[in-house]
Amino acid sequence: MANADALFHVDGLSKQFGGVQALANVTMSVAPGELRAVIGPNGAGKSTFFNTITGLFPPTSGNVFFQGERITGQPPHALARIGIGRTFQITSIFRELTVRENLQVALTGRERRSWSIWPKARTMNMPRVRELLALVGLTDTGTRIAGTLSHGDQKRLELAIALAGQPRLLLLDEPTAGMAAQERLASIHLVGSLARELGLTVIFTEHDMAVVFAVATVITVLHQGAVLAEGIPAAVRAMPAVQQVYLGEAVAPVE
Amino acid sequence: MNRPSLLAIAILAAIALPLGLTDFWTFIAIEVLVFALYAVSFNLLLGYGGMLSFGHAAFFGVGGYTVAILVKHGGLPLAVAFPAALAMSAITAAIIGFFSVRRIGIYFAMLTFAFQMLLYTVALKATGLTGGDDGITGLKAAGALSKPIYYYWFALIIVIVALALMHRIVHSPFGMTLQALRGNPRRVEYVGINVRTHQLATFVLAGTIAGLAGAIFAISSGNVFPGWLNWTASATPIVMAVLGGFRTFIGPMVGAAVYVMLEVVISGHTEYWPLIMGVIIVVLVLMMPEGIMGMTRRIRDGKR
Repeated sequence: MANADALFHVDGLSKQFGGVQALANVTMSVAPGELRAVIGPNGAGKSTFFNTITGLFPPTSGNVFFQGERITGQPPHALARIGIGRTFQITSIFRELTVRENLQVALTGRERRSWSIWPKARTMNMPRVRELLALVGLTDTGTRIAGTLSHGDQKRLELAIALAGQPRLLLLDEPTAGMAAQERLASIHLVGSLARELGLTVIFTEHDMAVVFAVATVITVLHQGAVLAEGIPAAVRAMPAVQQVYLGEAVAPVE
Repeated sequence: MNRPSLLAIAILAAIALPLGLTDFWTFIAIEVLVFALYAVSFNLLLGYGGMLSFGHAAFFGVGGYTVAILVKHGGLPLAVAFPAALAMSAITAAIIGFFSVRRIGIYFAMLTFAFQMLLYTVALKATGLTGGDDGITGLKAAGALSKPIYYYWFALIIVIVALALMHRIVHSPFGMTLQALRGNPRRVEYVGINVRTHQLATFVLAGTIAGLAGAIFAISSGNVFPGWLNWTASATPIVMAVLGGFRTFIGPMVGAAVYVMLEVVISGHTEYWPLIMGVIIVVLVLMMPEGIMGMTRRIRDGKR
């Protein structure tokens, strides 16, 4: 593989659905500690890219490497076990369970105790559950049914579920989807500070440019399934090709 | 009153129950025990795992036939026949489960249904072994267990142990994982848990316990028939679980008791009993969409 320093490396990844080329020879390397934004207009292949690298479906060709190991086409539970956590564009939590149980399930996965039938599950891992809730700002919601939380709080809970696995790499698919503008920035700043605090590497897709420029350290622009541009935010913003794709959308000024 | 003392009273009452019953009603009490166990085993799949099996009777039937064949043709004691029934139903569940848990929703239901009908055909056609249409009759336990009251206590011990085991499991980390994957299997995968193996294990456990229920019932009723494996037999635990409340652990037991009692009382009065029962069950389910226990819980919580 090309980049020995990379924590995460994608090599020539392609995905075809019938006659549609959803991903075309995507290559990218993500160094430890990066907050990598993957952006692009609707239909650029962001979701396909995400779902392919997280084992939801295999690529047509190309490979994915994590910490130097080839992980192409591995099932999601195997990826979670080696330190890759993810969240979904449409918030994915255990809606019928309490907030606390949501995290207990995640910790059970982390500790490989999902097969054990001995301890009572309800009282397991409580200190760690409280820690995780505090981390994402959900203290005191532990006994609520997860499905009754506000949309923003459900997103935070999903983040806590992903963090429960103590990932090295966190993949966030549209982490601010469905939020109000103010909430979006607060939420992505939370991700940014958690990543620094916990030493995580983050790859996220996002369509709100303000959110992207608020935290991203490197940006990859996808267009029609291929990498159009890549670089630090200031450089990407200045590229004529990028501006053209976005037709002068909010790429330009950000506070 | 707290839970442990309620439980102790319930167990003592269950032990004392046959002392005041005729042999006929003792057999009915055994039937309640058997179907309570069967319905709870089914509910591991539906209520906890979110898997609607339409072929659970396959395991009840395999357990029953295994005991019947070993006792009748092999002359073996229950101490051998019962463990063999557990093993056979576990193996059957592992095979059917291996193919079925790969599919979800209606496809899972159809696969379990198809496998069960396959076994039904075997029970009908393998006449030498199963007696075909006539089934296997005249089964009897040897020694003390041939007395209904002793067989009741024997069954009661087995049922309590099996229920305790299942109760333990649904409240364990495994059980919590199961309830999590009921609503969101993908999320479970992404916390590092292999969903399919957990579903398969649940399927095997549920099938094994159903086989145990079938084994107990084969001896108490004295016979086994191919109808045990027919698709209508797979509807029975579904009705019991829904009637009693499949979101609770004891709901299916309550549903089973109500179902069996209704059947006994009504069939004693009219040959049209399935019609009357159908009507009563429809009304009950419409009145209590969460089942009897769901309703009870709601009333209790409302009063607090």
